[in-house]
Amino acid sequence: MPKLIIDNIAVEVADGVTVLEAAQSVDIPIPHFCWHPALGKAGACRVCAVRMMEGPVKGIQMSCMLPAQDGMVVSTTDPEAVTMRRNVIEWLMINHPHDCPVCDEGGECQLQDYTIAGGHGIRRYDGKKRTHINQDLGPYIQHEMNRCIQCYRCVRFYQEYAGGTDFGVMGSAGRVYFGRFREGQLESPFSGNLVDICPTGVFTDKTARFRARYWDYDMAPSVCPGCSLGCNTTPVARYRELLKSIARRNEAVNSWFICDRGRFANGEVNDPQRPRTPLIDGVESSRNEALKALLFRIAQTEERYGTGSIAIVGSSRLSLEAALLLPTLAELTSSGALCYFASEEESGRTLPLFQLLTAGRSASQRDVRESDCIVVYGCDPLQDAPMLALAIRQAWRNGATVYTVGDGISLPCDVTTVDRLDAVPLSDAKNPVLIRSAADIPDQLATTLHQHDHLKLAVLFPAANSYGASKLALKHLGVSFEQAISSGDIKGVISVEADIPQKLLEGIPFVAALDWRMTETVQAAQIFFPTTAWVEMKGTFINHEGRVQRFNKVMNPGVPIRGLDPAVHPPHIHRTAPPGGEPQPAWQILAAVIEGLGGELITEPFTGEWERLRGLDAECEGVIINDI
Amino acid sequence: MIPTELKTKLQSRVSAAITNREAAVDVMKALQAHYGWLTDEAVVEAAELLGLSPLQVEELATFYEMIYRRPVGRSVIHVCDSISCWAMGGESLLSHLSGLLGIKPGETTTDGTFTLLPCCCLGNCGEAPAVMIGDTICGRVTVENAAGLIERERNR
Repeated sequence: MPKLIIDNIAVEVADGVTVLEAAQSVDIPIPHFCWHPALGKAGACRVCAVRMMEGPVKGIQMSCMLPAQDGMVVSTTDPEAVTMRRNVIEWLMINHPHDCPVCDEGGECQLQDYTIAGGHGIRRYDGKKRTHINQDLGPYIQHEMNRCIQCYRCVRFYQEYAGGTDFGVMGSAGRVYFGRFREGQLESPFSGNLVDICPTGVFTDKTARFRARYWDYDMAPSVCPGCSLGCNTTPVARYRELLKSIARRNEAVNSWFICDRGRFANGEVNDPQRPRTPLIDGVESSRNEALKALLFRIAQTEERYGTGSIAIVGSSRLSLEAALLLPTLAELTSSGALCYFASEEESGRTLPLFQLLTAGRSASQRDVRESDCIVVYGCDPLQDAPMLALAIRQAWRNGATVYTVGDGISLPCDVTTVDRLDAVPLSDAKNPVLIRSAADIPDQLATTLHQHDHLKLAVLFPAANSYGASKLALKHLGVSFEQAISSGDIKGVISVEADIPQKLLEGIPFVAALDWRMTETVQAAQIFFPTTAWVEMKGTFINHEGRVQRFNKVMNPGVPIRGLDPAVHPPHIHRTAPPGGEPQPAWQILAAVIEGLGGELITEPFTGEWERLRGLDAECEGVIINDI
Repeated sequence: MIPTELKTKLQSRVSAAITNREAAVDVMKALQAHYGWLTDEAVVEAAELLGLSPLQVEELATFYEMIYRRPVGRSVIHVCDSISCWAMGGESLLSHLSGLLGIKPGETTTDGTFTLLPCCCLGNCGEAPAVMIGDTICGRVTVENAAGLIERERNR
């Protein structure tokens, strides 16, 4: 544990920590471009210069390259160090274009910040600048090589961290070029991280190009709903349109990055076809009318078909708040079935694995990254949960052995293929992790878990809140909707963000749906309530390991201003909500229905054993609920 | 398409290497000798031989200044422009050669015989200024003897 002094502040850090990180730990910022917490050092940019006053090394040193040692006395404010940094920045800016006003990175550009902070305000160089020809890197990433300051972050991420082989650095000296052999879409499923990691505007998000400046963004800490991993994101919106998503650091989960599938998934939120108005038999109506109609038809269905004829159906993509209210709704409607899964298949591949996740058993993405032996068994992480494949690669880079049971699974690292699970030497491993999705051989898995106490399990569930849905389904003896209708008694359905296929709804006279997507169920419904998408509400998901994570509201719901007919925008009629602003969080609609049915008005969905989740901070690592 | 014989030879060169990348320069030089320069096709072929992606071969190819990713003449004249040769008159030598050949640095003579390129240190500082003509290093090159060296190479 070396002890050193930085700018007169005594600091003690762990072995191997660099002077730059030691300074950061006491809130002394040192400018840096090439150094990145997830990628380490490269010593390429020379901008983190500090002066070593006393200790084993003296004089100007690169703080990112220097491990902290006992007796070091460091000055970040020494005139020599300050001058060095200012000169390096001026030199990095020589070839950088003066295009900040038209650059998408402007306002969120590390180079811009450090140039100003470093004191290089006026350019002295008036010679010709080095220029490059840009490449078309596909529909997601915009390339602008002239802005490059050669920090090598992009290539270190793309090739070393993510295992991509189609993007790299070419040339040498003043001619280095970061790009592809030939123009074309980047192949890596993690390519969007180039946007986040580039300290300036070489790689920007093409899908949000020229749309907004950083200070105009609506943004909030959120969680990706794309799969069950629950990677942390910061979605960015402006004028009621979800523009882009940025990875948000959570060391227990996704570390610094997210996958492209999660990042470039704005379409559904902005979809012009998205249902935004309450409907009664296909006719637009107000929320109150729809609520009245719903209560009437619930009563009518019960009267006609008797108690137990209504099924309440939630889903594994429904937020925990709404999922928690379903049992109350089921009780008040004397429903015949409370379902958290539409199909028997989904229920079948979720519940048995959920039950294996006993306390301390589930593996986070961090556990995977720190594992020394990983077994991928009956699932394809690159397809089902890409970030887990990236975590596996980090374990492999740190020396872990990666086993796949059976052929046909490709991962961004070397793998050892074995025929059977027994063939993996789990007993020799220190922190083994088994990764699994479909549950066709749960018995063998249970036996293996029983034999190896230290084996952790990472389950790839179908959706963002599968864990929460499973927990509630088991507690409230829920059945799948498919099973519920097999008796033939179900004559009414209240579907809450559930994806019930049309064929399961045949012969059911009454269907009500709450959703923010245009689904088959919504199309089949006689009564419809629009709900908010995850970015339009505060909510909660429980990820694959049982980690409860809060996401905050990024934007108000409403039809994006972009694409509106200028003849009708702005609307020249008085209204209190923006056009398309009717959607409400599903749990609030459910609370109104519950109140209408004679229940208590619910203002706080977290009660009883869930009460501890009330104040959960969206910016913490989340809390593990794994006490079954 | 490279001939099967060359392909087999290069395959055995790659398999003899501890890591594939180690054989990359040899493979690129062999393909360059075959095609005259490292064509796009050759980059893809080298990638296949080495088990790398074309981009990864391109990274190496563009790093080394004696791997030519553009067509060059039969012989390339490299004129050192690093510090020792520069101090000993390398700059005037380059412009003299440019005049002799009637081309600017970076260009190829119209008959396709010579390409003139400045290059970094040839490791021959003791004999500065140094020039490499084809595969031959020449030291203490002067404005006076340069024409003779070019003629010797032309008639080779």
